Amino acid sequence: MRYLTPHSKWSIHSEYQDNLFMLALSRGGPALWMSPADAAAIKAADNDWVEVVNSNGVVVCRAVVSHRMPEGVVYLHHAQERTIDVPKSEATGRRGGIHNSATRLLVKPTHLIGGYAQLSYAFNYLGPTGNQRDMVATVRRRSQEVTY
Amino acid sequence: MRVMAQVGMVMNLDKCIGCHTCSVTCKQAWTNRAGVEYVWFNNVETRPGQGYPRRYDDQDTWRGGWTLDRKGRLRLKAGGRVKKLLTLFSSPVQPKLADYYEPWTYDYENLVNAPLGDDFPVARPKSLITGEDTKVTWSANWDDNLGGATEMGHLDPVIEKIRRESEERIAFEFEQTFMFYLPRICEHCLNPSCMASCPSGAIYKRLEDGIVLVDQDRCRGWRQCVTGCPYKKIYFNHKTGKAEKCTLCYPRLEVGQPTVCSETCVGRLRYLGLFLYDADAVTAAATVADERDLYEAQLDLLLDPTDPAVVAAARRDGIQDDWLDAARRSPVYALAKTYRVALPLHPEYRTMPMVWYVPPLSPVVDLLREQGHDAEDRGTLFGAIDALRIPVSYLAELFTAGDADVVVGVLQRLAAMRAYLRDITLGRDPDDAIPASVGMDPEQVYAMYRLLALAKYDERYVIPVAHAEDARALDATADEARCSLDYDEGPGMYASGAFGEASGRPVPVAVETFHALKQRQSSEGFVEPGATSGRVNLLNWDGVGVPHGLFPEHGQGEPT
Repeated sequence: MRYLTPHSKWSIHSEYQDNLFMLALSRGGPALWMSPADAAAIKAADNDWVEVVNSNGVVVCRAVVSHRMPEGVVYLHHAQERTIDVPKSEATGRRGGIHNSATRLLVKPTHLIGGYAQLSYAFNYLGPTGNQRDMVATVRRRSQEVTY
Repeated sequence: MRVMAQVGMVMNLDKCIGCHTCSVTCKQAWTNRAGVEYVWFNNVETRPGQGYPRRYDDQDTWRGGWTLDRKGRLRLKAGGRVKKLLTLFSSPVQPKLADYYEPWTYDYENLVNAPLGDDFPVARPKSLITGEDTKVTWSANWDDNLGGATEMGHLDPVIEKIRRESEERIAFEFEQTFMFYLPRICEHCLNPSCMASCPSGAIYKRLEDGIVLVDQDRCRGWRQCVTGCPYKKIYFNHKTGKAEKCTLCYPRLEVGQPTVCSETCVGRLRYLGLFLYDADAVTAAATVADERDLYEAQLDLLLDPTDPAVVAAARRDGIQDDWLDAARRSPVYALAKTYRVALPLHPEYRTMPMVWYVPPLSPVVDLLREQGHDAEDRGTLFGAIDALRIPVSYLAELFTAGDADVVVGVLQRLAAMRAYLRDITLGRDPDDAIPASVGMDPEQVYAMYRLLALAKYDERYVIPVAHAEDARALDATADEARCSLDYDEGPGMYASGAFGEASGRPVPVAVETFHALKQRQSSEGFVEPGATSGRVNLLNWDGVGVPHGLFPEHGQGEPT
């Protein structure tokens, strides 16, 4: 699946993501938007626990199945709160990660310019943007019994 | 004619981006308390969708609102007084907590108290009701942005109805073709069925501005109002055992400020202002035989505040000049009656709701744009409004009891406005045939455009300040004058506590001190007439000093 991490409706960057009102107005924890066809392919229903796995890492979250998603693409809104409702992963036995667990930063030429303010690259810094936002990952339906 | 004033709201759905700022600020202001964790006086639901609480607009199930009996008279859909009396102690027809949602919190303690380990600790969900671990399976806004609509979209009662009844049922693709947000608050109806449902007479409609409120002293927690309200906008506080509802932020309105939801609305889609209406005509309007005539009947109730006869009658009925002036500048009157672009939500419930909606043109425009058309072109737009029967019939089920022609008319006026204004914006000669094609003149279209697109704060919110000097008189009448349906044998006639003492007026509460009470009860002597003068009402004590009577006089009340 093409794995995208767009901006969330329920937060500004990572702020307010853990606000109880915001969580009560959404799905109350990390959620992965996917198309009905893809959900059917892995036999996942709406709100089932799923795992997003690739060579970079793993994310555990619940599925939101909607026809508004095109086939072959999943959305995991970025910076969903990693201390809220993230169970252990079936794949690794460890905590189920965040949206960036499945991404990896590749160096691109603009990162190497350096030497001045916005041209210098550092993680989480207002410099040249990373290019970790377009990855490929496998999505699996996992056991619905989760442990924390 | 008896002229009354009503504060009304209009929401322009084309502008709603579904950000829920109104919901959050309302919740923070009013229901951020124990007992009402699950309560959102203001909520925003994605349509098509089930809404909050789930499927609330399915009145075959919830039996809210009014219906006409065989003689054509208004009756509560949930049953009249006899049925209410017989079933008073069970109120089975109302949403369960699971239909709203089971509120939850998270085990935040674990974040600081978890034992050392390889993994960082997380807070898992805990039910706020039972305190047990839980999996979140439904929330106040579960189907946001059509999430889960593939599995649950067909559960929307409006979709169900269209599939059952209309010729579009075969071509059911429309949850895949459009989406809009529907913010909802209490409708502050002219003919409130919640008020008529209350056995205790605890719900009242304010004489001066028509706001519907629950008297917390008189409410006995029968929960009949929850059933009675077809919009499910009365909620049961499970801690206090009383009903609570949207107050239209009356403490703010009284000083001329808009409601919290309006004030904080990011899209500036809410309008607040006055309607003048004929209170004597409400029952007749709510009783019209064909439910598709209810929208027109409701419009006919609204009186023209520039009509000298209306102004004279309003003055006679005690409406002051600053309120009449506000009524003339009212944006809600302009949108509902002058331009006829605002529609009531579910008029078929016969409650005469006073929160109106400008239906969204965007489903049509979006679709046109996706198909590569010029979505602002008048010809294309008008053709599409006629051709796209599915979004139109959905909107009609929400706003006009299924009368698609009314919705088409409104959408055409909005489309004409876009097309006409585009010529002006692009510096082309405006085409006066466009306004004429929808029965408007160019000035009117421009004024409507100003109001919908540009209106500033004090044009969107025209709220006259409450008259404090009238407060005492209003207070005195508050018990008798409840609503236009409170005549003898009328459906709203519950003033005298029909269900015994507990349903009657509240007994005034007197707070006596422990000492005064003990002395009075244990004293062997007769109570002297002056002996009670030492009682003190602690409710009025500001905590400074020791008021007379708080402690017994020295020598009195000593144990013998």
